[in-house]
Amino acid sequence: MILIMDDIKQLKILANENRKKVIRMIHSANAGHAGGALSVIDILTAIYELDVDLNSEKRSKVVLSKGHAVAAQYAILCSKGIIKEEELDTFRKVNSRLQGHPSTITIPEVDATTGLLGQGLSVAVGIALAKRNLKDKNHVYAIVGDGEMQEGQIWESLLQAAHYKLNNLILIIDYNKLSSYDNVNESMNLEPLNEKIKAFNFHTIEIDGNNMAQIVDALKEAYEPKDKPTAIICNTIKGKGVSFMENNPKWHSGGISDEEYEIAKKDLEKIEEELAK
Amino acid sequence: MNYEMICLRDKIGEFLCELAKEDDRIYVIDSDLAKSTKTLEFQKKYPERFVETGIAEASAMSIAAGLASEGQIPFYVNFAIFVAGTAWTQLRQAAYANLNVKMIGTYSGMDNGKDGASHHANEDLALVRSIPNVKVLVPSNVKEMKEAMKIAIAYNGPVYIRVARDIVPNVEFKTDSKIGEAKIVEDCGNDFAIIYEGTSAKVAYESFDKLKEKGYNGKLINIFSVKPIDVNLINMISDTVKIIVTVENHSVIGGLGGAIAEILAKKSNHAPVAFVGVEDVFTESGTPTEVKEKYGLSVDNIIKKII
Repeated sequence: MILIMDDIKQLKILANENRKKVIRMIHSANAGHAGGALSVIDILTAIYELDVDLNSEKRSKVVLSKGHAVAAQYAILCSKGIIKEEELDTFRKVNSRLQGHPSTITIPEVDATTGLLGQGLSVAVGIALAKRNLKDKNHVYAIVGDGEMQEGQIWESLLQAAHYKLNNLILIIDYNKLSSYDNVNESMNLEPLNEKIKAFNFHTIEIDGNNMAQIVDALKEAYEPKDKPTAIICNTIKGKGVSFMENNPKWHSGGISDEEYEIAKKDLEKIEEELAK
Repeated sequence: MNYEMICLRDKIGEFLCELAKEDDRIYVIDSDLAKSTKTLEFQKKYPERFVETGIAEASAMSIAAGLASEGQIPFYVNFAIFVAGTAWTQLRQAAYANLNVKMIGTYSGMDNGKDGASHHANEDLALVRSIPNVKVLVPSNVKEMKEAMKIAIAYNGPVYIRVARDIVPNVEFKTDSKIGEAKIVEDCGNDFAIIYEGTSAKVAYESFDKLKEKGYNGKLINIFSVKPIDVNLINMISDTVKIIVTVENHSVIGGLGGAIAEILAKKSNHAPVAFVGVEDVFTESGTPTEVKEKYGLSVDNIIKKII
């Protein structure tokens, strides 16, 4: 396959731009899920830049199973011109295309209607089966949260993806260690997570999911020919990039005040300046 | 009326194979019940388009959604309790996206008699018809069953087809069945109207004949399309007959009777409506006939409402 764009520095800059859009949306809506959008946005940005050609009819698909992180997907689709910049301020408001969770009815490019946790990996299994039968060489990504791994349906679909040896399916686990409650492993222990998924007959890769070089390497490894699906376990920081949000369970969901918005913008501008050096 | 009795469930695999021959987008999704639902034949003929999920109904429904989003036409065939019940939020998400998924729920109502209340799907119509975008069809004979499948394939969106496991009278209608249209099967007068859904056709037919013998002349109306429902015909009937009796292999809450009541409640004058079905209770094990009899879906119960 041909990678569309894999320049690490450019990807970092893009991810930071997308972070700015995420906090803009959640500030404007005074609601949303900033923490999980910011933890997953590095790998999500990389997936779209490396492998998703939105201008092509036959293309790789992204199922954002952790649909509450939709602000991250909207930010990326905005960078691609699918969503207009000014539309970002309509997020979660009535009459907007930008629903609180991904809906293909309003924005077909989100690829899957999600939001009810646990379902997206199964949807990706269906897409992968169809692509294989249709001789479409593209991939399907299922982006799931760590808390979502507690859903029973996830384990049904892990069995099925492995049973059908879906080597065109890539599971991304955003392991930011926090769910709505607090520490995900205190609410219900997932460990040993990597070993469990490996035992289900997945090829597993574990990385720092906020490290762009590791992300690109992991995706390239996933693209290599094999006879099983791949899972990339991304150890991430919830709220990554915004000082007061990082690792703070409070930022699972909630609005951003004007004061907080100013601090968040400054944090991200600082990152931007460092990247420009 | 003279008719032979037939099991529509037995035709599921055969018809899907026929239709799949002409359309390579058709898939069958199974959750370990292909032997019971008769889709085994499809697996043999089209192994690549037969997706066995194991006993994992929630995931099966979402897999159907994924296949549909890639332009395929998946039929998720399973017991009605699993399709409409176990996988309800998955079905609802697929419907929210208006995906081209098709569901066949068989062993509907009390048709799975001996397995008992856990397996009786007396709520599937209520569950599926309350979801926006979903069309709900209940064939009452072999011809209608094939028509329902063809309609489902031609229509771009979610369709639920309720297929009887118990035997039904195989009375073929002269005209084709259409989405949104009900049929007056027999019209002998205005003493009553029996309005039934396909899986309860047997008691509806028998009651109609018995009433005729007793000198009561009414109408027998088949609701092929529960959603959208034939509002005009129901309104018209309610102006002319003395009483309407709805007959369903389902709870009297939220199913066919509920759908009829929702229409007539908007009118100031209409014939009184009596509901025949399961009266908001859990059932028990027994032959389908015994269970139906005990829980209200019987000829006697229908006649009692009219005489």
